[in-house]
Amino acid sequence: MNCNEAAATIAAYADGEVDRLRSHTIRKHLRTCPSCAAKHQELLALHARIRAEIPYFKAPSALRERVLATFADATPARGDRVRSADRWRWMTGGALAGCAATIVAWVIGTAIVDWRTNEDLAVEAVTTHVRATLGNHRVEVASSDQHTVKPWLSARLDYSPPVRDLAREGFALVGGRIDYLDRRPVAALVYRYRDHMIDVFVRPPTTHAPPAALRTVRGFNVAHATRSGMDWLAVSDLNAAELSNFVARVAQ
Amino acid sequence: MSDDRRFEELVLPHLNAAYNLARWLARDANDADDVVQDACVRALKYVGSLHGNEARAWFLTIVRHAFYDWLGRNRPSEIVQDDGTALDTAIDHAAVDPEQSASRNDQTQALVDAVAALPLQYREVLVLRELEELSYKEIARVADIPIGTVMSRLARARALLQRSPLLHAVAGNMSGSER
Repeated sequence: MNCNEAAATIAAYADGEVDRLRSHTIRKHLRTCPSCAAKHQELLALHARIRAEIPYFKAPSALRERVLATFADATPARGDRVRSADRWRWMTGGALAGCAATIVAWVIGTAIVDWRTNEDLAVEAVTTHVRATLGNHRVEVASSDQHTVKPWLSARLDYSPPVRDLAREGFALVGGRIDYLDRRPVAALVYRYRDHMIDVFVRPPTTHAPPAALRTVRGFNVAHATRSGMDWLAVSDLNAAELSNFVARVAQ
Repeated sequence: MSDDRRFEELVLPHLNAAYNLARWLARDANDADDVVQDACVRALKYVGSLHGNEARAWFLTIVRHAFYDWLGRNRPSEIVQDDGTALDTAIDHAAVDPEQSASRNDQTQALVDAVAALPLQYREVLVLRELEELSYKEIARVADIPIGTVMSRLARARALLQRSPLLHAVAGNMSGSER
């Protein structure tokens, strides 16, 4: 493949729209051609910035009410309209959440993963995340500087959790806190991605079987990785695919 | 399944996607409201012809039609044909969304403004791709253009963003990025 041919397909490749055979050819070219590789990087960087910085506007609740009313007018005979409207207010909590739930359901349904043993851990992680959110106890050390957050945590634990700066990928470090998981104090790193808050609990690996890579608990996604000599458990209302991407990066 | 049940189960879950698209097309909250309401009325009317697995693209197609009809009635001057010269001249500097500026830093705001300033044809494919995460094939269907045109418009949208005077800072950031 030469640069002209590559130029025509780099964007489609970055968008995941190229078949496997052709992807392989492009990857080979990108490894040997710095100028095409730079173009590819620029596309990925722009994509990351758009995803991180461009707001996704959710339908205001007033609009949702009006739509439900329109459609109640169109079908006045339904006696359970109110209850139905209530149910939908919950269930349409976000098209993204809906998609994420579908992906998670599919991933969990098809991958035969024994998450049952670790169900308690994922549930506890979600509970801890929710408690921190509700109690406004999100961070004890607020800083976007990994060199501030890491020593603060190390000083309060018997291990030193790696802290990565992922601002370029759109994950802004907000800070950290000490929390409790599995009856032990753990480091909780807090990142923000668009409007989503992510808690990632970092601890030395335990002797238990590793949890499932991905789970959903009460609508929250929980992604797990064991890397860099640590156990990583990320919890967020962010969609499953992006949370998996995040945990892979933060743990690398 | 009755039409209202189908609407509830297949279409309503995509209300946020519909609103986001309408909001980025119209660049105004109240106008987006009107467009989405109109789209819902249409969707309820035609929901009988919808196949379940394509509800999102189907509904977004309706939203887009509703938007263009609304545009024709309210801001006909914005409907311009793409004659290929738009790349260098098309940035719409008037299109800044003051609502968004409150708590964002300048860099972020620059990107938001640059996207809002993209000409409509480029803005819509960019939003469908980057925010709604539709495939090229789905975008082709929603925007009623061939896949080749989807690709060329996306490429132009991105080139416009990268070259936008609203965010020269992006270029610096990107050349330093390593993955």
